[in-house]
Order: sequence, then C-alpha cells, then structure tokens
Amino acid sequence: MAWKDLLVERRSKETLNAVLFFALALLFVFQFALDADRERLAAVLPGLLWLAFILSGMLGLGRVFLVERENDCWEGLLLAPGDKSAIYLGKLAGSLALIFTVEAIVLALFALFFNLDLAPVLPQLALVIALGTVGFAAVGTLFAAMTAQARARELLFPVLLLPVLVPVLLGTVKVTGALLLREPLADVAHWLKLLVAADVIYLVTGLLTFDFILEG
Amino acid sequence: MTRLLGWLAALALAAGTVMGFGVAPREATQGNVQRIMYLHVPTAWVAYLAFGVVLAASIAYLARRRPGADRVAHASAEVGVVFTGITIAAGSIWGKPTWGTWWTWDARLTSVAILFVMYLGYLLLRGMIDDAERAARYCAVLGIVAALNVPLVHFSVYWWRTLHQPPSVLKPGAATMPTAILATLLVNVAAFTLLYVYFVAKRVRLLRAESEVLA
Amino acid sequence: MADHWNFVAAAYGLAILVLGGYWRRLVRKERELMTAGVQRSRHPSLSGHPRSEPASRHPLP
Repeated sequence: MAWKDLLVERRSKETLNAVLFFALALLFVFQFALDADRERLAAVLPGLLWLAFILSGMLGLGRVFLVERENDCWEGLLLAPGDKSAIYLGKLAGSLALIFTVEAIVLALFALFFNLDLAPVLPQLALVIALGTVGFAAVGTLFAAMTAQARARELLFPVLLLPVLVPVLLGTVKVTGALLLREPLADVAHWLKLLVAADVIYLVTGLLTFDFILEG
Repeated sequence: MTRLLGWLAALALAAGTVMGFGVAPREATQGNVQRIMYLHVPTAWVAYLAFGVVLAASIAYLARRRPGADRVAHASAEVGVVFTGITIAAGSIWGKPTWGTWWTWDARLTSVAILFVMYLGYLLLRGMIDDAERAARYCAVLGIVAALNVPLVHFSVYWWRTLHQPPSVLKPGAATMPTAILATLLVNVAAFTLLYVYFVAKRVRLLRAESEVLA
Repeated sequence: MADHWNFVAAAYGLAILVLGGYWRRLVRKERELMTAGVQRSRHPSLSGHPRSEPASRHPLP
C-alpha cells in the first residue's frame, strides 16, 4: 500500500511540491518578520521550526486520501481483503516518507538562513523530529480518513487535529529548544518520555480503530 | 423519572447557591469574588465527567453497536461542551479581578481550553457527516482519541507552565480547606452533577425521538 | 482586596443564561417533536420513508 502511494507520488509529485513551496514561503515570512531581532529569533526558533513542520505536514496529510476520494475509490478501500490496519500502516508510511523529506529540507534551509550549527546535535535532533513526526502522522492519518467523507473537510481536519497535537508539539519544541541551546538532554528527559508515550498511544489507537473507520 | 431528576437538580442547585453565598465565608485574600469558585470548580468537574462518559459510551458503541450508547455519547459530549464553556467563562471572569487579566496561559485554563476545542470538534464532526451510522462510528473513534489525549495534555501543559525542573510529584498537594468551604463546594459539585444527568437524560430522549421521526 | 460583586454577578449570571438557554432549547425541541409525533399518529399518510434502523445495518459482509 505504501509502495503504491509512493509510486503515485513519484509520478505526480504534486503533494511534495505543494508542501515544499509552502514551507519555503513560511521560511521567508519568518525571516522577514524577525530579521532585525536576532535575540528574539533565537528564542522562538524551535517554535518556528515546528510551526513550519506542522503546517506543511497538515497540508500533506490532508491529501492522504485525496486519490481515493477524487477517483471514487473509497469503496475499493472498504472492500480490500485482509486486515484494514495494513492500509493504515501503508498510508502512515507514505505520509511519513513525504513529511520526513520536507522536514529534512526545511531543517537544512533553516540552518542555512538562520546560521545554525546543527552538526553536534544532529543525531539527537533527528531523533526528536522523528518522534514528533510519527505521533503527528499517526493521528493525522486516522483523522484524514475520518474527514475524507465529511463536509467541510478542509476546515474540519485542522480543527480536529491541532488540539490533539498539543502534547506532541509542546514536547518536540521543548526538546528541540534544549538541543539548539546545547542544554543537556537529561533536563528534558520527561518530555522525551511523554513523546514516546504519545507515539505509542496514537499508533496503537490508530491500529485498533482504523477498522471501524473503513467499515463504510 | 426525568422530571423528578430535574426537580432534584433544581433543589440541589438552590441549596448550593444559598450555601455559596450564605454559608461559605468571605475569603481572606481574594474577598467575595472567590465565591465564583463554587460555580467554576463544579462545572469543571462535570465537564471531565461528561467526557469520561463519552469515552465509556464510545467504547460501548463500537463493541455492541447499540444506538443507545451512541445517543449517550452524543448527548454527553454536547452537555459537556456547554459546561466546559461555562467553566472557561467563569474562570476568565474570576481571573480578571484576581490576576488582572481576562486570559492567561496557565496550566489549568490552557488544558480546559484544549478540552473545549477537542469536543467542539466532536460535535462538528457529527454535524458534518450525513450518514447517521457512519457519524456514530467515527465520533466513537474520535471520542476515544480525545479522551486518551486528556492526560497527555494535562501533563504536557502542566510541565510547560512549571519552569525548568520537572515535577517530582503528579501535581502539588491540595491545601486543606476549611470545612465550610469544602462542604459548600461538595454540595455544588453534587448539584451540578445532578443537573448534568438531567440534561443528558433529556437530550438522549430527544435524540431517540428525533431518530424515530426521521425514520 | 475589594469585593468585585459585579464580577461574581457576571459569572453566575452567565451560567444562568447559558444553562437556562440550553434547558429552554431542550424543552422547546421536545415540544416540537411531541406535536410532530401526535400529528403523524393522527395522519399516517404524513409519515415518510420506511423505517431504517441504523443499528440493524450490518457492515459490509
């Protein structure tokens, strides 16, 4: 399933391009808005980074079931044999691939534009970004399926997703901030544990409840 | 039965209000504005109760597909949102003279605000899905996700608001309250809980009647 | 500290308005449905499409 989605993506590249350009636009806006004030910039940088990740990610996630919706293939999903959770994992993997790509590029550009030295903390940074994104995408994929058939889905999807994302967002921003300021990770260990707990909860819930979403 | 419930609730509310203004003493530091607590805390309690019921009913619905369970979930979410709104508003009104501001991103207010938006989303989802059976299913899933999120939100927001060191205990111990205040608080909690049950019972009956009319 | 009774009144007043308003809405809707139900039982021709109990609808086989 993930492979099929990736293939579709590679051919069309619509979503990746749209999301990438959106992220770039955000970067420019941040730069213009905070250009003069270097100090304030340093303080808000983790938040800005994750804002860029989340907004771009939501753009991508909102389109996870677009193909099925536009081509009237929803019934195809419903009738697919086997465990529906496989579809969930497949869609999740596809979304993760997309979002990770965008995040990598955005991170690189952030480091470039805002003159950050990420080399010493890169592995830890990658870890926390991965943790945050997995939680984000796990719920996002579930909610994308739920809102695919609803009216006003472009409005409904962010309204449903954002409050649920708050713990993950708080956790990732705090840890990212600590990493950028070269603070010891031990100080933010409780945030990391929260992130892991959230990821586990969201993944398990997604796996268990996706069947109910794809019943009809 | 529902009517009896309604009268009981009204009675209890009357008693609670009388106690809130008659029995409970004038608070030392804040003055009489502290009496808002006898409104704010019970409605907050009821809100959490309501969403706990949404969780239970949602699980029950997915397990057995009884339409009654779905109706309870729907009703409880709706009443819960009403009570949450009042909690936020009363908290904000209480905050203005005591903290000097209508809103502050303190742990509790932020948590409740997030709670409010989550369950508002639940009601929105219901409104935006036309098929009744699908709406019931999807909302049950959302009800479960939202409820699981509540502890996560609590911890994260609380830690966010406690500077630097992570807390070694779950939350600070409650200071012992003088009896009069505690008693007034408990009576009001009971009264608002009765009101909640009454509202949910009425709403469920309404939902059943609506589904029969539409059938 | 001053007593701020107006804030107390505002908070309680708001609660009364909201809870009272919600209660009125419930009562009004109930009354509407009662009359609609009575009308339908008197004029069976008014009832619409056949009953479709959501719970009895099975998920896809």
